[in-house]
Amino acid sequence: MKEKFGLHNLPEAPVTLETTLINKTGSWKNIQPVLQESTAPCTAACPAGIEIPLYFDMLIRGRFDEAAKILHESNPFPSITGRVCPHFCEQKCNRGYFDEAIGIRGIERYLGDLYLDKKWSPPDVTRDEKVAVVGSGPAGLSAAHFLRKKGYRVTVFERDQKLGGVLRYGIPDYRLPKDILDREIEALKREGIEFKTGVEVGKDISFEELKNSFDAVFFGTGAPLEREMRIPGEELFIKGVEFLKDVNTGKIKKFSGKVAVVGGGNVAMDVARSLLRLGATPVVLYRRTEKEMPAIREEVERAMEDGIEFKFLTLPVRAEKKNGKIELTNIKMKLGEPDETGRRRPIPIEGSEFTEEYDAVITAIGELADLSIFPEDLLNKKGWLDVDLRTTATKDDRVFAGGDLVLGPATVIEAIALGKRAAINIDRRINGLELKEFRPFEKVVEYKKIVLDYFMEEPRQKQPEVPVEERIRHFDVEEVGDYTPEQVQKEALRCFSCGHCNGCGTCWVFCPDMAIGWENDQPVFIYDYCKGCGICSAECPRDVIQMVQVRTF
Amino acid sequence: MSFWYNQVPMEENFNSGHLACQGCGATIAMRFALKALGTNTVVVIPACCWTIIDGAFPAHAIKVPLFHTAFETAAVVASGIKSGLRIRGKGDVTVMAWAGDGGTFDIGIQALSGAAERNEDIIYVVYDNEAYMNTGIQRSSATPYGAWTTTTPEKHPEDRPKKNIMEILAAHSIPYQATATIAYPEDFIRKFKKARDIRGTRFIHVLSPCPPGWKIPSDVSVKVSRLAVETRVFPLYEIEDYGEKYTINYWPKGLPVKEYLKIQGRFRHLTEDRIEYIQQFVDRQWEKLVLKHKLSHGTLDNIPKNVIYR
Repeated sequence: MKEKFGLHNLPEAPVTLETTLINKTGSWKNIQPVLQESTAPCTAACPAGIEIPLYFDMLIRGRFDEAAKILHESNPFPSITGRVCPHFCEQKCNRGYFDEAIGIRGIERYLGDLYLDKKWSPPDVTRDEKVAVVGSGPAGLSAAHFLRKKGYRVTVFERDQKLGGVLRYGIPDYRLPKDILDREIEALKREGIEFKTGVEVGKDISFEELKNSFDAVFFGTGAPLEREMRIPGEELFIKGVEFLKDVNTGKIKKFSGKVAVVGGGNVAMDVARSLLRLGATPVVLYRRTEKEMPAIREEVERAMEDGIEFKFLTLPVRAEKKNGKIELTNIKMKLGEPDETGRRRPIPIEGSEFTEEYDAVITAIGELADLSIFPEDLLNKKGWLDVDLRTTATKDDRVFAGGDLVLGPATVIEAIALGKRAAINIDRRINGLELKEFRPFEKVVEYKKIVLDYFMEEPRQKQPEVPVEERIRHFDVEEVGDYTPEQVQKEALRCFSCGHCNGCGTCWVFCPDMAIGWENDQPVFIYDYCKGCGICSAECPRDVIQMVQVRTF
Repeated sequence: MSFWYNQVPMEENFNSGHLACQGCGATIAMRFALKALGTNTVVVIPACCWTIIDGAFPAHAIKVPLFHTAFETAAVVASGIKSGLRIRGKGDVTVMAWAGDGGTFDIGIQALSGAAERNEDIIYVVYDNEAYMNTGIQRSSATPYGAWTTTTPEKHPEDRPKKNIMEILAAHSIPYQATATIAYPEDFIRKFKKARDIRGTRFIHVLSPCPPGWKIPSDVSVKVSRLAVETRVFPLYEIEDYGEKYTINYWPKGLPVKEYLKIQGRFRHLTEDRIEYIQQFVDRQWEKLVLKHKLSHGTLDNIPKNVIYR
């Protein structure tokens, strides 16, 4: 106010002299909005906790570098998981209840491939301590990568001649081309990780020796042993993991005849589908039904599309060699009460035995870790490696372990997650800090919190696929193709961005009190004028704004 | 810039600290209107909520001149101001009369009718909160059938349908009319910009939810306004070419009217058969509107369906 008016000098006309900014209407409220991000269901479902809405947000804005950095922060090998991950994220995607889940894996793959050969400059060696990583599977590579990023000198020991572990010897080419794997490993070599191939711990170098020459050791030796069936004639069978290794190293180029594949897990699927592509006729024998199969659902569906025969509720009980063929006697099963895994237990039906002839039988009924290298005191009463999964620490202060070695046959992303967890805790142990326990995310955005009025139904973008009749004839042709950049953009825009503010502006646009400012693409609340109506919170499409009680005196 | 609302200007011609209730729809409406019209605007306000919202002497909330006038005179005072500005060579200034439903449907209708008939060069906006909210929620001729107000209590709720002001104005053959509501900011702002660039009397009917008067929590005023459109209670449409050309701007989802009624306390007493009666009334009105669109355009295919219409 420039001039004070009083009774003695009233203005000629009642004109206003200043703005309502003198009224601090913020004092009217008893609740006020705060920006409070919470976890999206995809992030919570991902074992590695990849912050999917965060990097999608960057993608939408065209900031690909930042998007890729966020992605690599939790997952150093998006090109690999973008192909083989069972996408727990998509299974829990809130958009799935609305129309179709977001094609997260396709986007991950696109972004991973885009940055495959141009990852960031190698981190400097800032620490004197050295860490050894045993096994170059996903867990080992992940641990090595994150330790290197923390500045340690890392040496990876691999017993085979080539790096990659299960990624190279377990996953067939049509799912994960070797070229992609090689380029991911090249990137790790550029980071300055030292690799020693053909060195087997327990044979070429002893456990004690390893422990004494390094400040910490991470074991990610996987589950390379096939479980035995314990039936007569088992010596006639081929072991699934060994078969896959022979196929992947090129030892086996052709296979013919009728082959029984025993088991319902991922190895069984890979074996059956590989056999088909090598020229054999596989038949999958599984003792429970399709519903109980532990394999990735997508792989089961693809195997069925391929035209592979499945015999459910069937268990081999003995085998005999006859005229160069294997005579396999099976028994029919029925499902009983659910067991500790929640799946219904198969019970043999007496007198239902039947005999079939096969040219070969391959077993894939579960894989086991090789624990012979570990000293007795690291094992628990059951004879397993004693590992705290929340920290990956073993009973030995300097020994950590992760991946299939501790989980049993699991997924690549779980191994990557444990590798990272180990890297964090090895760093903390070396620094003399208390280990950081992994905790699941607490506040996850529920579907009902999404304001659906801001979204319209839109079909999910499809990745190109090689037709079935074409794909079963090739071993090295990848069956699923890449998204185009336009598809990535469209798909990222479909994301609800649950719990993460992506700067849509809905709160800003509807504020009746002009009490929401806009800085760095995010709302800033001006509490002096906010009356606490709650429109911003109610309208926020992604549950980012919460109303909280104002302190009253 | 927020990426969803790129049609909403960042320009803010309205200050915080105004005296509206929490969650007031009329303030959101004014905010959008001034974003669209810009600062080269004069606003005329008769007795209505906005008399209070703008603030008491010596403060004033909006960043353009505002003229307070008597209840029945918004249209005529706006006409006078426009004539005066034109004579002084300032014919490019937009003059907007901004009146409540009381000052438009009931008390100001003769002045509005006169101005419209003379085709005065003004924008007349009715921000319709469906009763005399400022004086304590008394019934107006804009109060919908079945609604509670202090003068139509639950035992004797409003028993007459809402006056169809759009048709009354269409009968005056004015160049541009539109309906708008706060849940669709981009549509709202497009209509105000369009109105600004047309000469002659422009009439915009804005549905503006009132949390105390409608007995709704303050945070649902946008939602209720969206439901009004989606249930076809308040369709978004324009009438151009001097009352001739009807254009429906958005094909609503057609949710049951009950969805709109049940979240408002003022309709809480309604029985199923009364809701059904309202539903039938809304359906009939909608069918008529669709026919008018078809008559104007020869087709219904140009109505945007299944779009995110903000």
